[in-house]
Amino acid sequence: MAELLELHNISKFYGNIIALTGVTTTVNPGEVTCVLGDNGAGKSTFIKILAGVHQHDEGRLVMEGEEVRFNSPREALSRGIATVYQDLAMVPLMSVWRNFFLGSEPKTGIWPFRQIDIERAKRIAKEEMAKMGIDIRDVEQPVGTLSGGERQSVAIARASYFGARVLILDEPTSALGVKQSGVVLRRIVEARDQGLAVIFITHNPNHAYPVGDRFVILNRGQSMGNWAKEELSQADLTQLMAGGAELEALQHELAQAGA
Amino acid sequence: MAEATTATDSAVRPSPAQDERLAHRGPVQQLLTRPEIGALIGAVGVWLLFWLVSAPFGTAGGTANYLDVAATLGLMAVPVALLMIGGEFDLSSGSMTGATAVIVVLLSSDTATLGGAGLSLHLAVPLSLAFALAIGWFNGTLVEKTSLPSFIGTLPTFFIRIGAKLGFTKLFTNKVIAEGLDRSGGYEFWDNIFGASWVRNGHVWDNRDWAWSGLLIIGAVVLILGTMELAYARREHPNAVGYLVSAAGAALGAIGFILLLNQDSTASNWIFGILMGAGVLVATGGWCAARYQPAERGAAAAERDPRVVQLLFAGIGAIVGAIVIAAVMNPENSDRLDFLTGTPGRAVLAIGIGTTGVLAVLAALGRVSVGYPAIGAVVALIPGISYMVTVQGARAILFGILGIAGVVLLSLAARRRGLAALFTLLTSAGIVILAFFIQSEAGSRKLRVELFTALLLIALVLAASAITRLIAARRTSAPPPPAPSALPRQIGLGLGLVAGLLSLILELADGDGILYSIIMAAVKGGLVVFAVCALATLYRTLFTSDESVGRSLIFIGIGSVMLGIAAKLMFITGDELANTRAETRFGVGVMLFLAFAVLGAWLLARTQFGNWIFAVGGNKDASRSVGVPAARTKTTLFMLVSASAWITGMVIAFRLNSVQANVGDGNEFRYIIVAVVGGCLLTGGYGSAIGAAIGAVIWGMITSGIGFATWNSDWRFLVLGALLLVAVLVNNYVRSQAEKVR
Repeated sequence: MAELLELHNISKFYGNIIALTGVTTTVNPGEVTCVLGDNGAGKSTFIKILAGVHQHDEGRLVMEGEEVRFNSPREALSRGIATVYQDLAMVPLMSVWRNFFLGSEPKTGIWPFRQIDIERAKRIAKEEMAKMGIDIRDVEQPVGTLSGGERQSVAIARASYFGARVLILDEPTSALGVKQSGVVLRRIVEARDQGLAVIFITHNPNHAYPVGDRFVILNRGQSMGNWAKEELSQADLTQLMAGGAELEALQHELAQAGA
Repeated sequence: MAEATTATDSAVRPSPAQDERLAHRGPVQQLLTRPEIGALIGAVGVWLLFWLVSAPFGTAGGTANYLDVAATLGLMAVPVALLMIGGEFDLSSGSMTGATAVIVVLLSSDTATLGGAGLSLHLAVPLSLAFALAIGWFNGTLVEKTSLPSFIGTLPTFFIRIGAKLGFTKLFTNKVIAEGLDRSGGYEFWDNIFGASWVRNGHVWDNRDWAWSGLLIIGAVVLILGTMELAYARREHPNAVGYLVSAAGAALGAIGFILLLNQDSTASNWIFGILMGAGVLVATGGWCAARYQPAERGAAAAERDPRVVQLLFAGIGAIVGAIVIAAVMNPENSDRLDFLTGTPGRAVLAIGIGTTGVLAVLAALGRVSVGYPAIGAVVALIPGISYMVTVQGARAILFGILGIAGVVLLSLAARRRGLAALFTLLTSAGIVILAFFIQSEAGSRKLRVELFTALLLIALVLAASAITRLIAARRTSAPPPPAPSALPRQIGLGLGLVAGLLSLILELADGDGILYSIIMAAVKGGLVVFAVCALATLYRTLFTSDESVGRSLIFIGIGSVMLGIAAKLMFITGDELANTRAETRFGVGVMLFLAFAVLGAWLLARTQFGNWIFAVGGNKDASRSVGVPAARTKTTLFMLVSASAWITGMVIAFRLNSVQANVGDGNEFRYIIVAVVGGCLLTGGYGSAIGAAIGAVIWGMITSGIGFATWNSDWRFLVLGALLLVAVLVNNYVRSQAEKVR
């Protein structure tokens, strides 16, 4: 059976620097694949390969049984891979509905007078947000005035409205408080339940474990492995994430310092 | 152009349902969130200041004077504002205006350039446009490819061009001025476009005004009734309050009418004329409120039928065609059409006979249908028939065909909405047309033809509606679908188009210059669109519980005030003060400037490109990642600035027929300043085209106002600086208030 997206030993080099090596995992509709790693572990490189910003140097990227290579963000987007970046790819001074439709504005009218169908755009933006369970106060307000969680929600709703099948979320919870993070995690689950394949990039195992179905752990550009949820517990995940032995050494050190 | 004016009709759109968590914001607070509002307040302040200290400042002459200064600045400030919103600057924009002018003059002049034989302007003018676009493309590409800040990226072309302009001008003419444009080939044609101006003489209310204003009022009333009939449902029980309001309005109108009859001065005529018009409109509004109620909206939106719009436009197109033909009719012309004696006619004859022969052979062989040789034969007959028909006869036939086709199409469109609407709509269209005819050329020889045309049109309308009714009677069809609420806008646009095209023909016939005629036509068309939209909205907001009441009313108010100002500029001139009929000139630059402002505002607020401008200026990486072609958007903006510089350059060149080598140098900073005064952020991503235009007007008012106020011009820049400071501070304060509101 062909998976939606398969990665086989994906590697990326910048000159003589090994940014990412040997990443293997699968991504399926209705599942959340978590990619965990500390700073500099290669998470950004991983996203950029899938989003078409960079191209992999080794390994195979297989989408629905067909080997692919994304040469531009547009190409990845046209295959249904939508990325919600850490900086959210939003224009803070523009209103919610303008951001929602940016780049794919619905139009009306005959050519020299073609203009945006503003009423429709506003209505759809509000409806789509409502579908994600977000009740936006006013689609005319600038995105800059929204809270971090609300902005993530706009980005996720936008991606799913424009026919995304794979949704890549880059550190969506890192800049958020506890409550806001909870909101975003709920969105992830909702997106999954709508049948999207979600790739959730994070450095926080406590956020990843409750929502994830599959875990890839990166450390210094190396893939530490690829597990299904049944194969490991939250404690294992935290352990692996922190580099196992390193954490034990740290605990030991701290215990001594305390004594 | 007519469509561009719909940027003002946002009042027509109902706002989405308000959320209960939003604190109620009054319409004034909502207006304060607009970027250009600070500039607007500043402009009003500056205008009041000079109006108080100088008598001629407020007259048409004074207005023409400062608008002229504002236009040369604003023609550039509007596109520069777009570029700034897109996050870039173009330091070469100022010297570009001069460069295009110098290029045209040098290329076409009969001085030493090109061995003494200047190029025809038909070549030189497009060449300078090509040059401007190439530089714009180069600037955009350079800034994009190198990722240099555009302050640095456009600096080379800035200096290169300043040097090149002076160098080449001196090289070819031995002077720092290039002159002799009026001796170039093709001068008349291009001067007709870029050198045109609109002369306004003093005007006192006379019979002609009675005629056209009366007809316009009647037309408007009928139009409202027709629109109501189309877009609203009849009440089962008429509303008594509406009838009362209607009666009060009628009384008001009657008072206005009586006062108008007993008054003689221009100013009081206007006041009572407006009183009369307002009375009539209130009476109509009350009548409508009494008899109509909104149709169900949800169903209406779902049932939008695109074919009605197509029929409407096709019909209007045919009628316009008929009017074009009517306008070129000349009763004294008795020439024959005669295609036979000229070479083209003989060619048609030969081709017709030849193809008929070939097709006949093919038909005989059974390869094509017999119809084809018949068509060939008809083609061959045209020159022959033409010899028998006079020019007037041919035009009359075409007029008849187009007129009947147009009215039938319009009737079909109207039939889909129910027959009751048909008469009111078409009759009102006819009356409006008649009004425009009489307004533009009463008493002239042309009038006879026009009146004839208009009367014929009305006759055709009646005939066609009779035909339609016959057709309708024979075909039992489903009841007409409920009208969408967007219909008033469609009708407004259609009628605006008719009015605009009509006045275009008339202006052209007056020999006012092509570009000027087009702009005036667009203005008139736009006024009709505005009036229809405003009235429809006014009705909806006054008599229904629409939530956008406040905002709509304010938009209509602003529009009405602007119309009032326009009316004043058109009709009240310096003669009221000096008791002489002063001649006031509005150059084509002023018209273009106003058109640019409207077009720029529409582009920004309503189009995809406008959305992209905000996006690349606000967050370039973000917009690129969602698929906005950022590089292309920015390059287009640079080219837009260059193209506007070309237009400005042409206006400058054809004003004096000579160009100083240094003209425009240093103006790039003025454009930027004006855009900032108008509410654009230096960092990009926020701002307004209208604001930049208002900023240009402020600048123009200050520079020429100092002269009008007879202040010592040595202090000019000091005053200019101080006033600009005030304007910017007001702007800034208002914006901070606006952000608080958010």
